[in-house]
Amino acid sequence: MTALTLDGVGHAYLGRTILEDIDLAVAPGEIVALVGPSGCGKSTLAHIAAGLTNPRTGRVRRGYARHAMIFQDPALLPWATTAGNIDYGLRLAGVSRRTRSARIAKAAVQVALEPEDLQKFPVELSGGMRQRTAIARALAIEPDFIFFDEPFTALDVALRRRMQDLVIATCAAGRISGLFITHDLSEAARLAHRVAVLDTRGQGILGERLLAGAPGHRSDKAVFAWVQAALRQDPLFRHIHDVDERQIA
Amino acid sequence: MPSATRRSLLHRLAERAGRVLAFLWSGWAGLAALCLLAAAWQAGHEAYGPFILTSPLDTVAAVAALASDPEAWAIGALTLQRAITGFVLVAAAGTALGVMAGYSPATLRLTGPLITVLMGVPPIAWIVLAMIWFGGSDATVRTVILISALPVVFMGAARGITTRDRGLDRMAEAFGAGPVQRFLTIGLRQSTTTLFPALALALGTAFKVAVMAELLANAGGIGGALADARINLDIAQALAWVTVSVALLISVEYTLVHPAKAEVDRWRRAAQPWGVKR
Ligand SMILES: Nc1ncnc2c1ncn2[C@@H]1O[C@H](COP(=O)(O)OP(=O)(O)OP(=O)(O)O)[C@@H](O)[C@H]1O
Ligand SMILES: [Mg+2]
Repeated sequence: MTALTLDGVGHAYLGRTILEDIDLAVAPGEIVALVGPSGCGKSTLAHIAAGLTNPRTGRVRRGYARHAMIFQDPALLPWATTAGNIDYGLRLAGVSRRTRSARIAKAAVQVALEPEDLQKFPVELSGGMRQRTAIARALAIEPDFIFFDEPFTALDVALRRRMQDLVIATCAAGRISGLFITHDLSEAARLAHRVAVLDTRGQGILGERLLAGAPGHRSDKAVFAWVQAALRQDPLFRHIHDVDERQIA
Repeated sequence: MPSATRRSLLHRLAERAGRVLAFLWSGWAGLAALCLLAAAWQAGHEAYGPFILTSPLDTVAAVAALASDPEAWAIGALTLQRAITGFVLVAAAGTALGVMAGYSPATLRLTGPLITVLMGVPPIAWIVLAMIWFGGSDATVRTVILISALPVVFMGAARGITTRDRGLDRMAEAFGAGPVQRFLTIGLRQSTTTLFPALALALGTAFKVAVMAELLANAGGIGGALADARINLDIAQALAWVTVSVALLISVEYTLVHPAKAEVDRWRRAAQPWGVKR
C-alpha cells in the first residue's frame, strides 16, 4: 500500500497541456522531492495530488488518513492573528476546543515563533514569519502526509536549515510521508529519500534518483558531493542547471 | 490552557476600550468642525436675516422645544423605524443577491446592465410608482429605500465575492473545508471589504430617501413635519427637523456601523502607522 500514487495524470489549462502522463508513487514514511524548472507544472501537480484540482486524465490514489499542505505563498487569513490562523486548520480538522490552544502553542514553538507573535496579524509579521505560521498550521493538525510547495524559499539560510531539520525530524518521528517540491537540489538532497525530476514541459517524470542513507543522517559533505555530481555528470539534472542560469539572468 | 485564553480575552477587551477612548478623543476634531459650521451659519443669518436663515441658537432652541414634545418623538421614531426596516430589507436582499451573483459570473454579467438601468431611474420616479401602488404607508417608504439602495449593496457584495483571494479558498479546501464552510469562513468574510462601505452608503441613503418619500407621499414622519413647516413658512421648524434627521443618522451610524466595522477591520488597523491611527 502506497501513501500516494499518481497514475498517468495529465492536466491542461484553457486547452494548453501543462502535464501529461505523470506516474509517481510515494511510499509510507517516504519523502519524495520533486524538482523541475520554473513553470513546468510542479504546483499544479501538487494541487492535483492533494485533490484541489481535478486531473483531466489519469487517477490519484491516496492511502493516507489526513494531509496538510504548505503553499508557495503563505495563504494566511489576513483578518486572523497568527494563533487564529493555526487554529483555523485545527478547527477544520475537528480538533476539540480544549486541546486546540495547547496544539497551537506546541506548533508555534516548533517553528520558533515567540508567544507574542501569536497575537499579531499577518501584516505585522515578516515574510519568513508568515511562512513559518503556514508551516505551523500544517504541523498542528498532525497529518500523516504533507504537501510542501517550495515552503522555505522566503527564509534566510540559517532558518531554512532549521526548518529543514524540523521537517526531517517530524516526518521521521511520525512516519509522515511527503511530496516536497523545490528548486534547490541541496535541499532535496538533505531531506528526501528520493528525488524525482519533472520534464521541462510537464511531459512525464524524466527519472528518479534514490539517495543513500536516511535523511538527517547525511553529512553536509555528502550532500554537497551528491549535488555536484548530479549537476556535472547526471544528464537527468541538466534542466535544473538551466533554471539556475535563468534565475541569475 | 484557560489562563492563556483569559489573557487574550483581557487583551482584546483592553484593545476595545482603547478604541472607544481614541474615538472619544477624535470627537474634539468633530466639535471643531461643528463650530466652524455654526460660525458660517451665523454669518449667513446675519447677512440674510431670520426669515431666510434662523440663527443656529434659535434652531437649537427649536430642537429643544421638539425634544420636550412627545408628539415630535413619535414623528422621529416613525421615520427611524421606516429607515431602519428599509435598510435591513435592502441589506438582506442586496447581500443575498450579490453573493449569489458573485459566485455565478453568468448571473453577474446579466445583472450588470440591469443595475445600470435601475441606477438610471431617478428615485423620484420610484416614489411616484410606490405611491400609486401602496399609498402613503410604510410600504411606500420601504419600497423606495429598497429600490434606491439595492444596486449599491448588490454591487458591494458581488464585488467582494468576485475579488476574493482564491488562494485562501484553495488553502481552506486543502485543509478539508467543504463549500459551505469555505463560503462562511472565507468568502463572506472577504466580501466585507467592499460590502461594508456599501452598507454604510445604503444606510445614509435609507435615511435621506425615507424623509424625501415621506414628504412627497404625504406619509407623516419627519418628511411630513418638513412639509408642514414649508406650508407655514416656519424656517426654524424646518431647520430643526433637518438637524434631528442628521442627528438620527449619525447616532445610528456610530452605534451600528462603526463598531461593526472596527471589529471586522482590526487587522487593517494593525497595519497602519501610528500617525494615521490618532
Ligand atoms: N489558473 C491557471 N490558469 C492558466 N494557466 C495556469 C494556471 N495556473 C498555472 N498555469 C500555468 O501552468 C504552468 C505550470 O504552473 P505551475 O504553477 O504548476 O508551475 P511550477 O512548476 O509550480 O512553477 P514554479 O516553480 O515557478 O512555482 C505555467 O505555465 C502556468 O502559466
Ligand atoms: Mg509552483
